[in-house]
Amino acid sequence: MSELLDVAKKAVSLAQQKGAKEARVTAYRSRDVALQWRDGKVENVTEATTRGINVQLYVDGRYASVSTSDLRPEALERFLDDSVAMARTLTADAFRTLPDPKLYAGRSSADLVLVDPKYGDRTADARRALAKQLEDAARGVKGADVILSVTTNVADSNGRTARATSNGFEGERESTDFSVSVDVSVKDPDGRRPSDGLGASSHFFADLPPAEELGRASTARALARIGAKKTESKVMTMVVENRVARRLVGALLGAMTARAVQQKQSFLEGKVGTPLFGKLFTMIDDPFVPKGMGSRLFDGEGIAAKRFPVVEAGVLKALYIDDYYGRKLHLAPTTAGASNLLFPGGKGDLEELIKGVKDGVLVTGFLGGNTNGTTGDYSLGVQGFRIRDGKRAEPVGETNISGNQVGLWQKLVKVGADPYAFSSMRTPTMVFDAVQFAGV
Amino acid sequence: MLKLATALGAASLAGSLGCGGNEAPPRIGGAPPPVGPKPPQAPPQAKIVYFARFGVTESLIRDALGVALAKGGDYADVFFQHRVGSTMALEDGEVNRAFASVDLGVGVRVVKGDQTGYGYTEELTLEAIKNAAATAASIADGPSRDAPAIFRADPGPGGAFPARYLLKRGWEDVSPKEKLPFLLALNERTFKADPRVKKVSVGFSDEHGAVLVADSNGRLVEDVQPMTSLYLSCVAEDKGRREQNGYNVAGREGLDFYTEDRLARMVREAVGRTVILFDAVQPPAGEMPIVMAAGSSGILLHEAIGHGMEADFNRKNTSIYSDRIGKPVAKPFVNIVDDGSIDGARGSINVDDEGNVAGKTLLVDGGTLATYLHDSISAKFYKVPSTGSGRRESFRFPPMPRMRSTYMQNGPHKRDEIIASVKKGILCTNFTNGQVNIGAGDFTFYVKNGFLIEDGKLTRPIKDVNIIGNGPKVLEKIDMVADDLAIDEGGWTCGKNGQSVPVSQGIPTVRVSAITVGGRKA
Repeated sequence: MSELLDVAKKAVSLAQQKGAKEARVTAYRSRDVALQWRDGKVENVTEATTRGINVQLYVDGRYASVSTSDLRPEALERFLDDSVAMARTLTADAFRTLPDPKLYAGRSSADLVLVDPKYGDRTADARRALAKQLEDAARGVKGADVILSVTTNVADSNGRTARATSNGFEGERESTDFSVSVDVSVKDPDGRRPSDGLGASSHFFADLPPAEELGRASTARALARIGAKKTESKVMTMVVENRVARRLVGALLGAMTARAVQQKQSFLEGKVGTPLFGKLFTMIDDPFVPKGMGSRLFDGEGIAAKRFPVVEAGVLKALYIDDYYGRKLHLAPTTAGASNLLFPGGKGDLEELIKGVKDGVLVTGFLGGNTNGTTGDYSLGVQGFRIRDGKRAEPVGETNISGNQVGLWQKLVKVGADPYAFSSMRTPTMVFDAVQFAGV
Repeated sequence: MLKLATALGAASLAGSLGCGGNEAPPRIGGAPPPVGPKPPQAPPQAKIVYFARFGVTESLIRDALGVALAKGGDYADVFFQHRVGSTMALEDGEVNRAFASVDLGVGVRVVKGDQTGYGYTEELTLEAIKNAAATAASIADGPSRDAPAIFRADPGPGGAFPARYLLKRGWEDVSPKEKLPFLLALNERTFKADPRVKKVSVGFSDEHGAVLVADSNGRLVEDVQPMTSLYLSCVAEDKGRREQNGYNVAGREGLDFYTEDRLARMVREAVGRTVILFDAVQPPAGEMPIVMAAGSSGILLHEAIGHGMEADFNRKNTSIYSDRIGKPVAKPFVNIVDDGSIDGARGSINVDDEGNVAGKTLLVDGGTLATYLHDSISAKFYKVPSTGSGRRESFRFPPMPRMRSTYMQNGPHKRDEIIASVKKGILCTNFTNGQVNIGAGDFTFYVKNGFLIEDGKLTRPIKDVNIIGNGPKVLEKIDMVADDLAIDEGGWTCGKNGQSVPVSQGIPTVRVSAITVGGRKA
């Protein structure tokens, strides 16, 4: 048993001694290093090891969720005393218990491949060299004379969590995580200083895109923002770049939770089993993707992870049902939240999909906006490019899209075979017909 | 990308802080019994009082700074923080869940030129702190410098530290049982207010704790920083349709913040803002004049200019306001302020997280761009005094220039006159979130409630529409400013580079002559 699991198990016992009938404890420890580099030198280096515990207490049907970074033994005792006392002031809630241990059973023993054996090779010098390499690549592009500033970020971490419950669950997860990003600011003759760039995250260092490629592409993106203007207010085809399409998917996920349904805050209530969206829309929750950014063997409640379709050919197949709201809704739990999301069945990539659009907008970034999860109405700021006769045309900014989520996904007319690999949401390029744009 | 949101935007209580106790006044969560006097409800002071219970001494700080300066940093500071909060929440008629957390730790920062090294630890032992200091020290590469021999107060030109949030009773003395009636009453009154209300949720949060900053110049200050917020959310049903909305209030205040007036307003606003959505029509799409109602419409300033005036972006040459100090950016009657000094405001601070007294900073003075928001690094770069804007989310982060309470001062027009002046446009009254691209200047804010203005009159309600503009262009287009400044009482949180800090905002009624409304009817 690891030291961390021991911490979790001891805290479970302590919580029970203090009066909790049941308890779940997650102990974590993480080593994090982040380097920010700007215009030829280090801007900021932060390095630390952080640790703490999260505790869910079930005190005679009364529920409290607490966390502390103060793990001194006498402080922890006092904290749990206080937390149990706080829980006792609450109203008992018959739905609050730990999950049935049957839900813990059947856990896969697959190796998710989340730990890079070469993590230890990342030295301070190596990080600086990479940050500089990213900047040099960004500055090596034709047209770089209008660059005002280049900021690059290089970060890595090694995190472990261990979870234990009073009804027999034990689980551990370890991952290494690496990320890089480049942000390039350029001078626009009109006085604006637009910036853009690229980033990527991965469990394995070697899976990050090459620094040269990332730097160059970042500057190209920033230069392409020069001269951006708002476009016409009209209904057009929208092509959404794979790396930003998760913004649209994320708006759906909020309405897919059991809490939203139980609290009457979901436009998807009562829609499971119905063909709500366009036939091209399929979304699979797959916790077992090797090296996946959302991969896991069990979820936050300890429920054994399973692969399941969320949307299949436009039909809503399942919701994210955690144990508590599942009890309230008399529904069997699935899992509390998304792991990796896959969107199979697509064809082509961004450039090919643009070719099929006569008059539209390519969205390469979102800015603000929100979705009303109760009604599905959305309104989001976008930037990108006009598409004219199958070609990427002038840059577009200061523009907005609006509509209803159901209508949007019904008009998903094309899906690419180019999933974005550096996120748990592996969204491909997506093409939507008849989206309301607002600009001039 | 910089984001602003209210508590209402978030449906969950994840990340809420704190710990409570029993009938007896609970102790400071997680800490051993206090030695000596109770935690002070005191103005900032230049001695170790609060943190004494954790074994923090001047000698320990001196040792930590000694290690931090061992490689020749220009400047070093240590930032101790203890933050204890709790949230009690009501759903389906019962207060049946509570959340608590204790955050305790110290961050050590070393600055060399404009480069920063940073380390932190949750263990307040000399060895752990020295390790964090050694990590931070590695940003520099030179001969060792000495730590200060003595520590002193530096309250700045005012001569004394301000006291902007002294509570009669600290939250550590308020038992969970005392909070329950507020949640239950809001629930009951919200259901009574309108038969269409079908679901109500309420969350009561409070926070107590303190920060201690000591630096290589021998300055030391400790500040006790309370916070509280209360949100009320409801779902209503009407003829098979559903709508959700709510209201929330927040401040560096105590239990007496929750007056009968305030609670009644919460219920009235939460229900009113929800049921009016049933009458809402599709908002229009395209460029048109908008009127921003007094109060939370200050979100316009936060996004259109506030972030762009944070000096780090200007020092890096990446803000659309870089090189524009002293230049006209708005009509002469436009005056915009970022102010840390409003008593009890959520965005207020006595001292910033570098120990500088936070004052009132004029961003736009008579239509002219006046002063950036500075932390100590940018202040040194621009050779000006810090504006006391160096803030951080917690001891896990180095500080950077941040807003506090951002608002516009009163102007020469009247509200009714402004609305009457608009032939076809919208009035924006209530918001959930906003965002800005600093360099391009494009910003957005999401309007949850508003009205159509037709021929100078408010006609139909509208809802759920994002508005998008460009900072400097929109500032130029603010062509009417009323005399009804209101600072919003809502619980706003601002995100920048992965750090969240509490802020406030306000504005009088203003008109923007043209901006893009992201509606659905062209």
